[in-house]
Amino acid sequence: MRRYILHRLWQGAVAVVGALLIVFVAQRLSGDPVALLLPMDATEADFEAMRSALGLDRPLPVQFVVFLRDALLGDFGHSYLWNMPAMDLVLERLPATLELALAGLVFALALAVPLGVLSAVHRGGWIDNAAKLFAMLGQAMPGFWVGLLLIVFVAVQLQWLPAYGRGTVGHLVLPAIALGWYPVAAMTRTLRSAMLDIMQSDYVRMERAIGLPERAIVWRFALRNAAVPLVTLIGVYFANMLGGAFVIEVVFAWPGVGRAVVEAVFARDFPVVQAGVILAAVIFVVVNLIVDLTYGLIDPRIRHE
Amino acid sequence: MYGCLSARLFRTVALAFLTAAAAQAEEMVVAFGAEPTQVEPTRATAGVDAYFVSLFYEQLLNVSPELERIDWLAESWSFEPVGDEHILSVKIREGVKFHNGDTLSAHDFRFAFERQRDPLSRAAGRFRYVRDLVVRDDHRFDIVFREPDAAFVPWNLALWAIPRRHFEAVGEAGMQAHPVGTGPWKFVSRKPREELVVERFEDYWNASAKPRAKRLVIKIIPEDTTRVAAFKTGAVDWIDAVPPAQVGDFEAMPGVRTVSLPGPNNLYLGLNAVDPRSPLADVRVRRAVAHAIDTDAIVEFVVHGQGIRTAQLAPGSVGYDAALTPYRYDPGLARALLAEAGYPRGIRVNCYNLTTPREPNIKEVGEAVFAFLGAAGIRCRVHQMEYGAWINLLRGASRPTMDGIVSAMWGHGLPADPTDAWSGHLHTAADNWGRNSYHSDPAFDRLVEELRTTMDPGARYRLASRIARLKHEQVAGGLPTYRPLISLAWRDTLRFRPWPAAGWRSMYEIDLARPHGRVGSSARAELLRRERLAP
Repeated sequence: MRRYILHRLWQGAVAVVGALLIVFVAQRLSGDPVALLLPMDATEADFEAMRSALGLDRPLPVQFVVFLRDALLGDFGHSYLWNMPAMDLVLERLPATLELALAGLVFALALAVPLGVLSAVHRGGWIDNAAKLFAMLGQAMPGFWVGLLLIVFVAVQLQWLPAYGRGTVGHLVLPAIALGWYPVAAMTRTLRSAMLDIMQSDYVRMERAIGLPERAIVWRFALRNAAVPLVTLIGVYFANMLGGAFVIEVVFAWPGVGRAVVEAVFARDFPVVQAGVILAAVIFVVVNLIVDLTYGLIDPRIRHE
Repeated sequence: MYGCLSARLFRTVALAFLTAAAAQAEEMVVAFGAEPTQVEPTRATAGVDAYFVSLFYEQLLNVSPELERIDWLAESWSFEPVGDEHILSVKIREGVKFHNGDTLSAHDFRFAFERQRDPLSRAAGRFRYVRDLVVRDDHRFDIVFREPDAAFVPWNLALWAIPRRHFEAVGEAGMQAHPVGTGPWKFVSRKPREELVVERFEDYWNASAKPRAKRLVIKIIPEDTTRVAAFKTGAVDWIDAVPPAQVGDFEAMPGVRTVSLPGPNNLYLGLNAVDPRSPLADVRVRRAVAHAIDTDAIVEFVVHGQGIRTAQLAPGSVGYDAALTPYRYDPGLARALLAEAGYPRGIRVNCYNLTTPREPNIKEVGEAVFAFLGAAGIRCRVHQMEYGAWINLLRGASRPTMDGIVSAMWGHGLPADPTDAWSGHLHTAADNWGRNSYHSDPAFDRLVEELRTTMDPGARYRLASRIARLKHEQVAGGLPTYRPLISLAWRDTLRFRPWPAAGWRSMYEIDLARPHGRVGSSARAELLRRERLAP
């Protein structure tokens, strides 16, 4: 197990550096950040001076090596725009993103698990049809649109919850629903499909034969076995929520990492983009490792060698 | 005894409650659609950074709500030629305090000058004609120019008042974290991407512009729908950038005041007239472009009337001439001009469309423009460009990439002055000139250079008018379309008078409309309750 974890961490480190290299090259192909920093009337001399001050006048390979060296020493550079260390800028927004992603995940699971299980148990019934309709709507309606609808109806018309911002549990509800909306659909469908397979398996028939209550069969035994693909989805969506909640963060004025990094992409604020990519890549690696290790806990037949 | 204690306890709690309520009562919550990144003026660029900078920092000159340039931290100033040099002599006001208690002196401006002309300053180029700044005494200094620079006045004499001693003590990071200026508002706290909290500067030098509100909370809400929702739910009482399509709804809302004011930007179409192989090098083709677009319809239907149609300059600009009218929409004439220029079957060009939230509906405006052009035989291969890609494309160094037509903008300021813009996109690209120019004509170069060095206001106005007319006739340096309006809305529980700095977002005159009222949802409830109780 220890060897497996070390091997996965090594693979993760290679993936992080690889992602960084791609982003490093791609963002430099996207244009000169100095054009965005200087006013329209700046001269070529002003451009050269600013490029030199930011270290952008060096050859690209030198810039990358210098960046990697500094990053290993814990220095991820200074934001061109915010005048502060890039990693600090990203990390200070991480709690907000974690909070939103966790809330979104809780919302998604709170809906997807009962819906997926009940629709499988009552296959063809009204619950199943309702769950399928819900799943279809979930995948057809983008989260930002759901967010705008929630703002218009729940915040403006009904005045039940705040329309934007962060601070109280009330502020968290609408963005969490908007963020968790899409995963609900995918999780429900996946869980329903897995439950349908499991419910027809021999051991479930055996459990029924020995007289176990149906509720225990469904919720204690079948759900545990059907949870493996769900855990995979949880890992994927949680990592996506952490790194890709940008649109929801903009809609609800939520001060998270995604919004900071995407704004940095448009502003060509290279150090912030790089810091954000490192953070996102590390999160993906760690979450996927946790998901892989969780398989063994759910299903003891799965062992990592 | 217990009764006495209870009474005391009650009084204490009630007092604490009333004190908290009173503090809250003088707080106002407003929302901006965009957030500055820099709050230190010597590292700020124009545009959105001014939203916060204008709260804390001030310049030698300012612009009044009537769009008149007025002396501000400068008590007086004059510009005189002395030998080979030109001296701008400034006498600053005495007794002006910084937020930390330091007194403003000429040495602070010397320090600002050194920081602002540093290559790391975003506006170092503004000092390209300045040789030095010489302090004469604590309240007088001279700015020494190699040659006159008329654009220095529209920049409010360019310098910012920053506290030298404090700056040297806390460093740049300290100033970014906690701005200290002479402005009407003092920094309290900031949560990036969430809010900025400021409070009234009690020792502000200008009693007539001193805010009456005690405390201001500025929320950052970039999404239009959310910002509007925050206003409608009462979470905020003032918003900027009301979406053009909703301005009418806001104007019809009871208890809400809405204004649409000219923004500092001028929008135009850049036309590549410098490449001899480009059909746009022919003035007849450029005139065909001008006749092919129904800009009035675009302003009315695409930006919902939130724009001032311009032939060259908007009313109020230096050089504005009401007699100069835009090209009329006439697609037949456009086709005839194309045929006369040797293109009876029309032309096909690359068209670069700017997409940015910085100007409302600008993407849709570009799409409408290119559709009008296509209908008149100027068929566009449309390239959508986000702001960063667009600005890299637009500037001269990228030539010949911008080989056709580009939707473009260049701020003329408030009050508007075209000197900077024309230096950048009308003058031939060379040295400090024509950074984003796709036109080359020595006659225009001479005129723009003359405009740059003409300090007399009357002569400047006449010269700018003359250039505008010639520019219009030649469709040179691009084809102006309209000047966007900025819409602000606030509840009538507030008293607000827009000042033009920071795109009308400077908060000099903002206050509760009724004394001791509370702004915010419960404040409105309280006001409504009082109104119901009133005879």
